[in-house]
Amino acid sequence: MNGMTDSRLTTKNRRSAFAAAMLVAGMVALGFASVPLYRIFCQVTGYGGTTQRAEAIAANIVPTGRVITVRFDSNVSRELPWNFVPERHTDRVAIGAREMAFYRAENLSNHAITGSASFNVTPLAAGQYFTKIQCFCFTQQTLQPGENVRMPVTYYVDPAILEDPDVGDVEEITLSYTFYPVDEPSSDG
Amino acid sequence: MTDTAATPAHFEAHADNAHHDADHKPGFFVRWFMSTNHKDIGTLYLIFAIIAGIVGGMISGMMRMELAEPGIQYLADWSGEEGDAALHFWNVLITAHGLIMVFFMVMPAMIGGFGNWFVPLMIGAPDMAFPRMNNISFWLLVPAFLLLMGSAFFGAGAGTGWTVYAPLSTYGEPGPSVDMAILSLHLAGASSILGAINFITTIFNMRAPGMTLHKMPLFVWSVLVTAFLLLLALPVLAAAITMLLTDRNFGTTFYDPQGGGDPLLYQHLFWFFGHPEVYIMILPGFGMVSQVVATFSRKPVFGYLGMAYAMVAIGVVGFVVWAHHMFTVGLSLNTKLYFTAATMVIAVPTGIKIFSWIATMWGGSVTFKTPMLWAMGFIFMFTVGGVTGVVLANGGFDDIVHDTYYVVAHFHYVLSLGAVFGLFSGWYYWFGKMSGRMYNEFLGQLHFWLFFIGVNVLFFPMHFLGLDSMPRRYPDYPDAYAHWNEIATYGYWIMLAGMAVFFVNTIWSLVAGKKAADNYWGEGATTLEWTLSSPPPYHQFNTLPKID
Amino acid sequence: MAPQTELAPAPEAELAPAPDVESDAAAAAATAEEAPAFEYAEPTEGIGTPVDGGMTLPEQVTEVGQDALWFHNALLLPIITVISLLVLFLLLWVIARFNRRSNPTPSKTTHNTFLEVLWTLVPVLILVGIAIPSINLLQAQYNLPEGETVTVKVTGNQWYWTYEYPDHGEIMLISNMLPEEADAQEGQRFRTDADGPRLLGVDERMVIPAGTNVRFLVTAADVIHSFAVPAFWTKIDAVPGRLNERWVRVDRPGVYFGQCSELCGARHAFMPIAVEVVSPEDFERWVLAQGGSMPGAEAETSDDAAEDTATDTSAAEAAETAS
Repeated sequence: MNGMTDSRLTTKNRRSAFAAAMLVAGMVALGFASVPLYRIFCQVTGYGGTTQRAEAIAANIVPTGRVITVRFDSNVSRELPWNFVPERHTDRVAIGAREMAFYRAENLSNHAITGSASFNVTPLAAGQYFTKIQCFCFTQQTLQPGENVRMPVTYYVDPAILEDPDVGDVEEITLSYTFYPVDEPSSDG
Repeated sequence: MTDTAATPAHFEAHADNAHHDADHKPGFFVRWFMSTNHKDIGTLYLIFAIIAGIVGGMISGMMRMELAEPGIQYLADWSGEEGDAALHFWNVLITAHGLIMVFFMVMPAMIGGFGNWFVPLMIGAPDMAFPRMNNISFWLLVPAFLLLMGSAFFGAGAGTGWTVYAPLSTYGEPGPSVDMAILSLHLAGASSILGAINFITTIFNMRAPGMTLHKMPLFVWSVLVTAFLLLLALPVLAAAITMLLTDRNFGTTFYDPQGGGDPLLYQHLFWFFGHPEVYIMILPGFGMVSQVVATFSRKPVFGYLGMAYAMVAIGVVGFVVWAHHMFTVGLSLNTKLYFTAATMVIAVPTGIKIFSWIATMWGGSVTFKTPMLWAMGFIFMFTVGGVTGVVLANGGFDDIVHDTYYVVAHFHYVLSLGAVFGLFSGWYYWFGKMSGRMYNEFLGQLHFWLFFIGVNVLFFPMHFLGLDSMPRRYPDYPDAYAHWNEIATYGYWIMLAGMAVFFVNTIWSLVAGKKAADNYWGEGATTLEWTLSSPPPYHQFNTLPKID
Repeated sequence: MAPQTELAPAPEAELAPAPDVESDAAAAAATAEEAPAFEYAEPTEGIGTPVDGGMTLPEQVTEVGQDALWFHNALLLPIITVISLLVLFLLLWVIARFNRRSNPTPSKTTHNTFLEVLWTLVPVLILVGIAIPSINLLQAQYNLPEGETVTVKVTGNQWYWTYEYPDHGEIMLISNMLPEEADAQEGQRFRTDADGPRLLGVDERMVIPAGTNVRFLVTAADVIHSFAVPAFWTKIDAVPGRLNERWVRVDRPGVYFGQCSELCGARHAFMPIAVEVVSPEDFERWVLAQGGSMPGAEAETSDDAAEDTATDTSAAEAAETAS
């Protein structure tokens, strides 16, 4: 025919289609990979108010003179028959100092229930400077019927926050938790 | 076959000797149900899009009737339900309208219909690279549409909005409807991905000798860019909604905070697809308008390379602006600053296109036939929709109008008045080429003017409603919004009258229209499809044309 | 499988699913007898409510909102109007001047580098001109001014809002839309004009003090909702499992309405927001009437808290060095 033979065109077409299909496969993979990637991205950058986590307060972090308010917020899923509140709504804390706060949780039902908490801080940009050393939210919590526990969170606010033009002058950081049941609730509704 | 026809200057592929085998058509069933012919498949897509457009347009009519005055008027009657179930039916309507118009009207018409018909003709190819895959692409769309329609009858209907946000779409709406809608999107997505692979392969490998990428008509460029957007965006949607399905049915918690998931991840994924999607819907319209404007100005397109690469730029930047759809979800200052700036960048290539179209007409010898009216309407309406886009791009401004009718007005100006004007421009431009008969010029212009007035009366007041803070997706509203809602509904009826003229014109022209000449637009029409008969032979370019 | 239990609200009344807290409030009001009773204000037509046949952005009652309003009315709107009219004018010029009769011979011009550079650079300059005030506006929206701050926790539910005042003695309000008289069940409170326009009046308004920073902490209990008060230029999504924050400082007392702005199910259109802004004195009166307390007394305790934390800190450091 003209210039290119049919079989050469067929090969060329197959090659192009294959490359395009690979692109599709790659994007599908990226779509699913976005789940862990998004989580890692949030953990690393504090995106969306994701708090940081450390084993202990770093040696080079010392309390500064700056004192800010940390507010404690609590939410409970409607499916979780727990009472869950902070012991104090606010604390005045020194930036760079290791601090401890307590929440109280009580199982209002007559059976043992396991819950776990989602969490974030606001302003969202403060996430990368809010570091938890210990937290009840790191693991699942099981409460026996009627059990009432104090749940600690140990944290510090990284003095690096003072260098950040966007959140350096923030007066108050809110730490929020929402407790959800871990096991699927027995369907009664 | 001999090589006699390959004279580039005045090429006639339907030279007499071609007629004998070029017009050999298979029987009815094989031709229309097992079709591998790009023109027949294009025709099927266009018929499909018209049917879907009728359904989607009727739904918008129902919505406008309900919104014509305050209070709930019709929802209970239409749904046969009461209370919340009747209100839920409203959400089913808005969801169906959005999904149908996006996935089953605009996309099939632009890419499946005109793309299939004219990309091979314009690049001088005998057919698409993978004719059988082309057939599969179309026939995936039919069950997809049936699934979506069926979702209204199995269960309560999907009332999640076309965005299908979690968690409303996960534990917010039990029953099979949302699952069916999601599967419908899977099928439609697969259809489009196969189509995109086909177009890319065809355009890269099957251009006639001499037709370099930089000589391709702009419509082909637009389909090429669109195909790449489809290829990169749709798989992400597929992944996102697959995870919705497993969250709904298999106990996963990708988007459920209860299991450590994040509802906002879904929004990020959806809009990573969703923003390129709006360019998928508009780019082929850009392409068609470029062809039409050049033809009727009797001038080549002004700034051809700028036009082509503006589309590429729009496509590329379109992938990094998605979170401007999420300005109110709770973003940090830096995130908002970035997405504000990135979004505004898109205005630059878009401006290049608008001004280049005008420059194409400038100094031209313009005739204002129906396709040109639609093209000029497109340019102006798209400008209006585009400038409100610049307004919305400002994260600090967006808060007041986010999820209000201002946004509804904005995207209907770029889509209902942009993409759809592009579609009608292409329809009248190529109607004679596709059918072999000319449309009626008077009816065509009447259609244009009724539609133009109708949609402006319909959508312009929505700017006012949005500025005055009327939220979208509301079946009922405070009485202060009654005035402009009533006027908008009048606009719908005017538009509907225009559509009636369209159907009369189409049927009349198919039956009794004047026979169309090969190149009925004359010297301005320079692309290869005008070198063929109207309609083109069943098999064209058995001998490839050569381009200087 | 899917936790659908959460979504079975079992509302007794068609449009009033929330428990009745009115009687509590009344009881509280009765106990606070010495102070004059707090009275809810009537809304002013057109301020804080949609304007009949309105075509413009609502009047703003916060400084940031006024800045944003200026940004739109003085900058964005004129620019986009001029651009749209320019394109329209050019198209009309083409129709008048370059039709086939007036200009039978088309030019063959397809390039003009100067023009092409011009229509690339001019939009860039316009966009920069927009971006600079846009950035300033965004920064202002995120920058909570110094001073006393009242915190209100806002939770979106299908289909009502709850408001809590964690620093004011755990006040909790459940705010439902008031039905019309014709739709109300017997004994159920229905909307009157004093409550606000149809679909906007609620049984429990959020009350906040004027001239004071107010921080909204916003979340949701089921699906995503969006807390919006147009007169404050405020809209922030309520996302389950996650807290969002927005602040306002309203100068002018009044009643300001908003509506849920993220599709949240069947009654998305029927969960309005009503915020009453009152003088700080009236706010205190309202708090007491609700059975709450002002955080004034806590000022001392918060100083104590600072000391507490100081000791906490040293204890923690001691623990650190020990380990």
